[in-house]
Amino acid sequence: MSEESERRESPGPAGTSRRDFLTRIGGGACAVAGAGSLVVTLDFLKPKVLFEPPTVFRAGSAVDYPEGTVRFNREQRAYVIGGGGGVFALSAVCTHLGCITRYLSDERAIACPCHGSRFDLEGNVVHGPAPRPLPWLEVTADAAGNLVVDSSIIIPHGKVTRA
Amino acid sequence: MSPSPELHVVESTDPLAVPRRVALVRPDTRPAVRRSDERYVMTFPHLIVREVILFQVVVIALSLAAFVFDAPLEGIANPIETPNPAKAPWYFLGLQELLHYFPPIVAGVLLPGLVVLSLAVIPYARINLTAGPLWSPGGRRLALALAAVTAALFILFGAFGCWPIAVPTLLTAGAMFAARGGAEGGRLRRALARVTLPEWIMTWFVVIATLLTVIGTFFRGPGWTLVWPWSGPI
Amino acid sequence: MSAARISMADWLRGSAVYRSIVRHGTADTNRNRSLVIFENLFLHVHPVKVREKTLRFSHTYWLGGVTLVSCLVLIATGILLMFYYHPSVPQAYRDMKELNYVVDNGLFLRNLHRWAAHLMVFAAFLHMLRVFYHRAYRPPRQFNWVVGIVLLIVTLFLSYTGYLLPWDQLAFWGVSVGTNMAKEAPLVGEKIRFLLLGGNVVSENALLRFYVLHCVVLPVALLLFLSVHIWRIRKDGGVQGPPTDADDPRQEEAE
Repeated sequence: MSEESERRESPGPAGTSRRDFLTRIGGGACAVAGAGSLVVTLDFLKPKVLFEPPTVFRAGSAVDYPEGTVRFNREQRAYVIGGGGGVFALSAVCTHLGCITRYLSDERAIACPCHGSRFDLEGNVVHGPAPRPLPWLEVTADAAGNLVVDSSIIIPHGKVTRA
Repeated sequence: MSPSPELHVVESTDPLAVPRRVALVRPDTRPAVRRSDERYVMTFPHLIVREVILFQVVVIALSLAAFVFDAPLEGIANPIETPNPAKAPWYFLGLQELLHYFPPIVAGVLLPGLVVLSLAVIPYARINLTAGPLWSPGGRRLALALAAVTAALFILFGAFGCWPIAVPTLLTAGAMFAARGGAEGGRLRRALARVTLPEWIMTWFVVIATLLTVIGTFFRGPGWTLVWPWSGPI
Repeated sequence: MSAARISMADWLRGSAVYRSIVRHGTADTNRNRSLVIFENLFLHVHPVKVREKTLRFSHTYWLGGVTLVSCLVLIATGILLMFYYHPSVPQAYRDMKELNYVVDNGLFLRNLHRWAAHLMVFAAFLHMLRVFYHRAYRPPRQFNWVVGIVLLIVTLFLSYTGYLLPWDQLAFWGVSVGTNMAKEAPLVGEKIRFLLLGGNVVSENALLRFYVLHCVVLPVALLLFLSVHIWRIRKDGGVQGPPTDADDPRQEEAE
C-alpha cells in the first residue's frame, strides 16, 4: 500500500475512516430502499377487493330436516344435515387439499374423491389422509324457522341449532 | 499433493506496475488445465453438426407425437364438481400418492423440501467427492448402522402403511448387503461392490419416486382406490 | 447448371453486404473454422476446439441438449399460442376450443407445446441423474449443479403454471390441490397461497397471475439461469462425462 493511500484511509477518531463511514451509509441506504421496494411490491400484489361468491345462503325451513336428512348445497359447498335434535351444517370442502367431498347415501358417509379421505355425518375423519374433521358452519333460525347458513363462520363441533 | 512453495503476495494499487503472473495448478483444478495430452477436434464442424442433428431429431420426434396424440382438454372448469379421481400432471403424481399416506405438512412440504435440499448439497458433501466403495474389509460397524437405519425407515414408513417406500427400502438394503464382500463374487456382485453410498441412496430415491409416480398414474381410480390400469380410462 | 450455381454462391459470398455480415470465408481452413465460432454471438459459448471424447454419445447421452431443444420448441410454440389466448374466464376455455377446432394448425401447435413440456421435464430429470451417476458435479462444477437444481425447479413451476391456463377441469383441480399443499407450509403457507392465487379460491385472478408467471416471470428466470448454466459449462472445462481413472481423487492423493 502506498503512503498516499494509507494517509487517505487513516482511521478517524471513532476508529473508522470517513470512507468506511460513507460506505456503510450508502450500503445501508441501498438495503433500506431494497427492503422498502419489496414490502411495497408485496402489498401491491395483495388484492384489496375480492369478487368471490357470497357466503350466506338460505337453507329452507327446519321442518324440512327430519333426523337423518342430508342435503348437499352444490353452489355453497356445504351439507345441511338434520340430526342431534336439530339442524347443523358441514363444509363440503375436504380438510386435506380442498377437493369437494361427496355424500354416499347408501354408506351414510362423506367421501373425498382426490385422496380417499372419509368422514362420518358429523364431519369426523373415519380414515384417510385428512388431518382435521370437516368444520361446522353457523346456522341461524328466525322465529318462523327459516334457516340461514353462513359458510364463512366456523362454529365449535357439535353445536346443533334447534328451531 | 506436493507442498506448495511459499509465496509472498503483494497487492499493488499502482496502475502502471507490471504484474507477474503465477499459475498454481492443483489436482482439484479444472480438467482443461490438467489434461493437455487429449485429442481435440474443431468445434465447427464436428460439434455444431451434431447439435444441428440433435435439434432436428428432437423436433421431428415431437412433431410426430403432436400429429398422433392430442393434448387432453376436458370440460370447462367447474368449482363445484370435483372429477373423480382428480389427478395432477404426471410429474406431481408421486407427490399426490405421498399425500395419500402422510399428512399434508409431511408429504407436501417436509419431504419435497428435504429432497430439494439434499439434491442441492450433493457437490458439497465430502463423501460424494471421495466416492469410495461402500464396504471396506470387515465393516461390522457399517453393517450394524445400515441394519439399524433400514429397520427404522421400514418401521416408520410401514407405520403409515406406505409400502411403496417401505418395500424398496428393504430391497435396497438387501442389495447393499449383497454387495458386502462382493469383490470376490460373480460379475453381478462385483459390480454391486463398486457402488458408492451416495449412489445407493440416489438409486433408492429414484426407485421410490418412479414407483410412486407409476402407481399414481396407472393404478389409482375413483376415490384414489387401487385399480388395474386396464380396468378403466386413465 | 452446377457451375452456374457455384458461381451464384461465390457471387453472394463475395458481395459487399454478405462480407459485412460474415467477415470470414468458407470454413475450409482451421482459421476460418475458428472464426465461425468466435465471430458468432450464438456460437461463441463454444470453445474453438473441443475434446474429442466429449462428442461420444455415452459421454452425456445429449440429455442436456434434448432439454434445451424442447425449451426452444416451447418458446416458439408458446409465443404463437399467445396470439389466440385471453387469460380470462370463460374466454380462456373458449380459446382452447377455438385453437382445437377453428384455428389452422392450432391443435398441432397446442399438442407440440404440451408434449415438448412433458419432454422437457422428463429430459431434465434424466440429465440430472446422468450428471449424478457420472459424478460430474465434482469441483469445479459444484455451483453449476446447484444452478441445475434451480433450473429443474423453475421448469417444474413453468409446467405447473401452464397447466392452469386451459381452464378445464383437469387444470382447475390440479391447481386447487397443488395450491392447497402450499397452504400447509408453516407460518407463511396461507399468505403465499393468497398472493399466488390473488384470492382465497382458484378464480379469474389466479388465472391472470399464473398467465403472467408462465409467460413472463418464469421464462425470464429460466433464461437467466440457463445462460449461467451454459456459460459455466464452458468455464468449467466443457461437459464432463463418466469418471475415468485419471480424475479419481484417490489416485491423485497417492501421487
